[in-house]
Amino acid sequence: MLLGTIVYAIINSVILIMMSIGFNLTFGISGISNFAYGALYIFSAFSTYMLLQMVGLPYPVAALVSIVLTAAIGALMYRFILMRVRGQVLSEVIATFGIGLAILEFFRYLGFVGVEYALPVFIDDSFMIGEVYVDAQRLIIVASSVVLVGLLWLFVHYTSVGLAFRGIAQDERTALTFGMDSDWIATLSVSLGAALAAIAATVIIPLGTISVSQGYDVLINALAVSIIGGLGSTGGVIVASLVVGFAQRFTDTYIGSHWTMIVSLAAILLVLVIKPSGLYGKQKELEERI
Amino acid sequence: MIEVQNLMVFFENALALNDFSMKIEDGEIVGVIGSNSAGKTTLMNTLSGLIIDMRVKEKRKGGERITVYGKILYRGEDISGMSPSDRVRKGIVLSRERHPVFPESSVLENLKIAGYLRKQSEIREGIEYAYRLFPALVALKRRKAGFLSGGEQQMLAIGMSLVVRPKLLLLDEPLLGLSPMLQKMLVDAICRLKDEFGTTVLVTEQFARPVLPIIDRGYVIENGMLTLTGTGRELMDNPEIKAAYFGI
Repeated sequence: MLLGTIVYAIINSVILIMMSIGFNLTFGISGISNFAYGALYIFSAFSTYMLLQMVGLPYPVAALVSIVLTAAIGALMYRFILMRVRGQVLSEVIATFGIGLAILEFFRYLGFVGVEYALPVFIDDSFMIGEVYVDAQRLIIVASSVVLVGLLWLFVHYTSVGLAFRGIAQDERTALTFGMDSDWIATLSVSLGAALAAIAATVIIPLGTISVSQGYDVLINALAVSIIGGLGSTGGVIVASLVVGFAQRFTDTYIGSHWTMIVSLAAILLVLVIKPSGLYGKQKELEERI
Repeated sequence: MIEVQNLMVFFENALALNDFSMKIEDGEIVGVIGSNSAGKTTLMNTLSGLIIDMRVKEKRKGGERITVYGKILYRGEDISGMSPSDRVRKGIVLSRERHPVFPESSVLENLKIAGYLRKQSEIREGIEYAYRLFPALVALKRRKAGFLSGGEQQMLAIGMSLVVRPKLLLLDEPLLGLSPMLQKMLVDAICRLKDEFGTTVLVTEQFARPVLPIIDRGYVIENGMLTLTGTGRELMDNPEIKAAYFGI
């Protein structure tokens, strides 16, 4: 029982990491909170579904095309809408949330509601870890998340665009003096965030069905984890995902599943009261005071 | 190399630079001397094009209205409307005031970030240059830039500009807040920049004493207006400068 809870808590945490890392990355680089994140996640899932079932592309191709498509939507979203309201945080939130609502409710309007909307698992198999029964898809999620975080780390430390991301995130105006273009980098950051949402959807969605309401859940999870970890900090996302992931699973097993949502919300409140910038957030207020 | 013609910069209705003209020839070290709020940083931001980015951002926010009149000619080409990144590509590189570094990155990573527009091999070479000019940085290369002292950060900031391979290097108050010894060391480094790398340098400073001896020509500005210009020697001998900046 305990081992099972721990194994599933780890898997749950990894799913949270996958769901929130793109949201957090975009915020960390360009300061844009992309509230259309959950909608992009669902968009990618439906797009894979349609390419798979209606166009008849092979699964990997369909998934890849969806990821590219979602990334493109992210880039277009920045170029045509976000760029105009850049710097006004509230407008950014309203604009992205509006886009998210439009995408999600458009799918509902088209009638994409029901259990038949699902993606097949990659490998239909299962394994025993100790005495715990784990299906292959969940192991794929864990593996792909490890690979993804590793690749992201290499990307931001060793490529010139990745280094530019780090530069812009730390001091935008200084970054400009080295020839970086802040709008181009911001476009890339929103686009990369969207691509990460799509990758998350590709590996996570096969666990269940695709539903419009999931878009909102993903956004709430991403927000919760990012706030607890400290907006913009990738290390924070990982730690916060572990905290929330474990708390959710343990509450589920030992207290009752109807308390699960309360645990993560309580964790947000607690963090906001004790350390408003999050566990690993940058203490900007403090710096300014000094 | 670069010619500024009748530059006027407004922030809303406040005039930051008033009818300012200057000229920099290849291989010169030129100084702009003035007190706080004289318009030195505005001049640097206008030359490097940062002001264009500031103007766009303020406009999006519905904030301050920034207006620039006048012309900047770089090797005969009008670059007044060019974006900062295109100007960096042309070799005009600004090192901002208050030793701008990326505090959470290591010294080495700072230098790598600075080489955004350069090829891998050029970045490696540029980092060598930076280490040759400031050997003190070698021992610090794994240290986070935020933990460096002010002088070390200033060395790093200039080193970062070097990685970009500037033809015209704009140094905005590089001596700000440094001890006289470090000031001397940086002034020597600026001379070496010119001698060893053939870089043309425009340097602004509040205190005339450390920079006047090394500059070929200087411009003194007050409240955004040019009050005096001449060679370094002439400025040093000028009684007004002596009174205002040397306290004699």
